[in-house]
Amino acid sequence: MATLIPTLTLSSSDATTDLLNFSVTDSLNITKAVISPSKVALSTGDLTLFAAASYTKSYVYLKNTDETIVMNFDFGSTLSIALAAGEFAFFPWESSQNLVATAASGTPFLEYAIFEA
Amino acid sequence: MATTATINITSSDLMPGSSLNVSANTTLTKAGVTADLDQKESGVIKLVTGTEYRLGPLATEMSGDAHDISSYLYICNNTTEDATYYVDWGINETMIGRLYAGDWMFIPWNASDDAAEIELEPQGGTNIIEYCFFNSDFILPTAAS
Repeated sequence: MATLIPTLTLSSSDATTDLLNFSVTDSLNITKAVISPSKVALSTGDLTLFAAASYTKSYVYLKNTDETIVMNFDFGSTLSIALAAGEFAFFPWESSQNLVATAASGTPFLEYAIFEA
Repeated sequence: MATTATINITSSDLMPGSSLNVSANTTLTKAGVTADLDQKESGVIKLVTGTEYRLGPLATEMSGDAHDISSYLYICNNTTEDATYYVDWGINETMIGRLYAGDWMFIPWNASDDAAEIELEPQGGTNIIEYCFFNSDFILPTAAS
């Protein structure tokens, strides 16, 4: 069993007059499969990044490494997450549906990782 | 409204002989441009079991039904109870994951259509949720009268 420590920091000096600057962290027990940060080229066709049948409760990290092209992600059918250039996402995934990725155009590279609890 | 988000993911014992240290940083901007976002909503809410809640606006409430507007969502389950307390989160009636006590998530949310709403369904008892929602064009719904 390993411990994964994700930390998110959100900051803004002008979002509101109350300065936004906070961090949140967590300590997650990882006991099963891990794909450490890896890279794959997406295309405009569907790529099943993580098949639901292959995982149980997991934590997913995604980052669009491209400088212009948007990446789209769905969990079954509805377009749910759009990563613009340089953006990232981190979320718990219960693996009830496949995680499917596509590029809006071209073949941008996605950085991804999954940690199965 | 320049807002930045930074993530660090670390582990000293995930892989023998190699510590994990991932870091990423992004500035939250309007869709397709480099302009800063305009609007932000944050708070803490109690969610009682037995109900499915919607968090954030529908696409119709963002810039007059213009879909694919850049929006970012942070959610943290501040519950301190045991593992029987968690919040299922999903989009468009698809349960995607579970936030247990202390778990958080951050996604650029795509309101691809009006059905693509963010849904939260607490389990186990009352869960306390901290959230922050950033977007560019949220229009309040018209009052009934």
